Amino acid sequence: MVDLGLKTLLHDKIRFLITVSGVAFAVTLVLVQAGLFVGLLDNSTITIEKLGADLWVTSKNSPNLDFVHQFPESNLYRARSVKGVALADNLILSFMQVSLPTGAEETTVVYAMEDFAAWKMPWNVTAGDVRDLKRGPFVMLDESAVKRFGKFAVGDYREVNGVRLKIVGTSRGAKSFTTTPLSFMDFKRAQELQPQLLSEKTSYILVKVEPGADISAVKRELEARLPYNDVYTGKAWAERSRGYWIVNTGIGFNAFLTVFLGCLVGVVVVAQTLYTSTMEHLKEFGTVKAIGGSNWDIYKMLGQQASIAAVVGFVLGYVPAQLLKPVIAKADLKLIIAPELTATVFVGTFVLCLLSALVSFRKVAGIDPALVFRT
Amino acid sequence: MHTIVAEDVTKTFREGRETVAVLKGATLHLEAGEVVALEGPSGSGKTTFLSILGCLLGATAGSVEIAGERVDGAKPAKLQDVRRRHIGFVFQQFNLFPALTALENVEYALNLKGVDGKAAESQALELMRRVGLADRAKFLPRDLSGGQKQRVAIARALVASPSVILADEPTASLDASVAGEILDLFSELAREERRSLLIVTHDPKVRRVADRAVRIEDGRIAA
Repeated sequence: MVDLGLKTLLHDKIRFLITVSGVAFAVTLVLVQAGLFVGLLDNSTITIEKLGADLWVTSKNSPNLDFVHQFPESNLYRARSVKGVALADNLILSFMQVSLPTGAEETTVVYAMEDFAAWKMPWNVTAGDVRDLKRGPFVMLDESAVKRFGKFAVGDYREVNGVRLKIVGTSRGAKSFTTTPLSFMDFKRAQELQPQLLSEKTSYILVKVEPGADISAVKRELEARLPYNDVYTGKAWAERSRGYWIVNTGIGFNAFLTVFLGCLVGVVVVAQTLYTSTMEHLKEFGTVKAIGGSNWDIYKMLGQQASIAAVVGFVLGYVPAQLLKPVIAKADLKLIIAPELTATVFVGTFVLCLLSALVSFRKVAGIDPALVFRT
Repeated sequence: MHTIVAEDVTKTFREGRETVAVLKGATLHLEAGEVVALEGPSGSGKTTFLSILGCLLGATAGSVEIAGERVDGAKPAKLQDVRRRHIGFVFQQFNLFPALTALENVEYALNLKGVDGKAAESQALELMRRVGLADRAKFLPRDLSGGQKQRVAIARALVASPSVILADEPTASLDASVAGEILDLFSELAREERRSLLIVTHDPKVRRVADRAVRIEDGRIAA
């Protein structure tokens, strides 16, 4: 069978290139923007996921992980007394000031616990041992802090809230939504560094339930015993934190707008080139009808051309999006192009390209058959 | 046996608030294997009549029968079916698909008529041989002369043995010597296979190959 649609599409190589370039540009734009958005959201809750707590006890109405009020650390004992609780620990999360050798000051998000090792936090230690944090005025910094704090190494000292702390280890991949670098220190050390705010206080209680225990039942019991706190499952707390950034900061709307514009660019380019091509080939379509073809034969041809533009454009857009990953990582940002996102963008590209072809379908349906006789 | 029976065909078009009658009772009968030249001045309704006989347009009134099938008042699907089974077209500007080779242009017409694969390729190649273009089968239309393009168009019109071939000024884009060759080839092939050939033309050379010439004037067949 002679493939008139394919051959016509490839016959005008420049037009084909313009069409697939438009689709590819849109695909790259959507993948990168959506991937960056997912990456940012992933940063915002990565510690929730890595800590792996079944339940999070938070201060009342905390909007997200980073913006918390403190509450009495002694609440921990009530939590530990609940049936079904296997492990419960306090976690302080607080912003502190780091004095740099240059004289400048930067902010760090401090995570402080009694026993980091029990919670496998930080999850990717690149130097040192997290158990050393209890042995003196020590701190561990995430490697991503280099960009803000300048180069540092194990054995160096940094002043945190006016107190010299020795860097005893480093981690990798621990980030926050705001890109403020993370540091880890002993629970008591954090309270000493910020006594007005943190003395005898904690930011969270992390809970792991016993194997086989009913998480909902444990949650209900914790809520009953800690009426001035909220209790979330790990998943619910992560969703609430992400939801805050999406809804309250405009970042969600911004990402949606860029994705929408990317789609619009793709649709306009494909619709325009297909329509222009249809107009230029109108006489050929008329000839197809005259020699026995139907509108359906022409629709199939246009649909095939739109599908090819979608597939080729998607591939050409997907590759640069993947190649941008290391470049974006250098800017300390995370580009996450998950298989679900890839599949969604592919299906979206395909559907939108086919919808673009509809404009041409209408034109073809209205072709004056006598057009074939015109010179 | 008649392959075209058009009786008292009228066709009107709306132009703004006015109704313009282009055909005012045109009647024409064609026998199988007959070659007829349809002549007439510009605006006389030649192309409209050809479009109706080719099932590209519907008549406003009158009856039209192609290869024994009534097509006046028929729905678009029926018209398309009759075109596919019974009619071949040759156009003044050849109307070849520029992205297809000469052979593929002929083969594609076969595909539309339900012939695929090797059968379509061999039939198309045979027709290319009959129009003397077997050695140009793989050429794109842009690499062919005007005469060669019209030969490809004739081969395309002949595929799947239509009862009726309608040609619109087939020599108008060709120089005189080539036009003569094309007309000879065209009429020979039509007669050999007992196809009715209706050629709309201004070219007096067409009369030489036609069994008869009819004239359309002011929407009516004059003689």
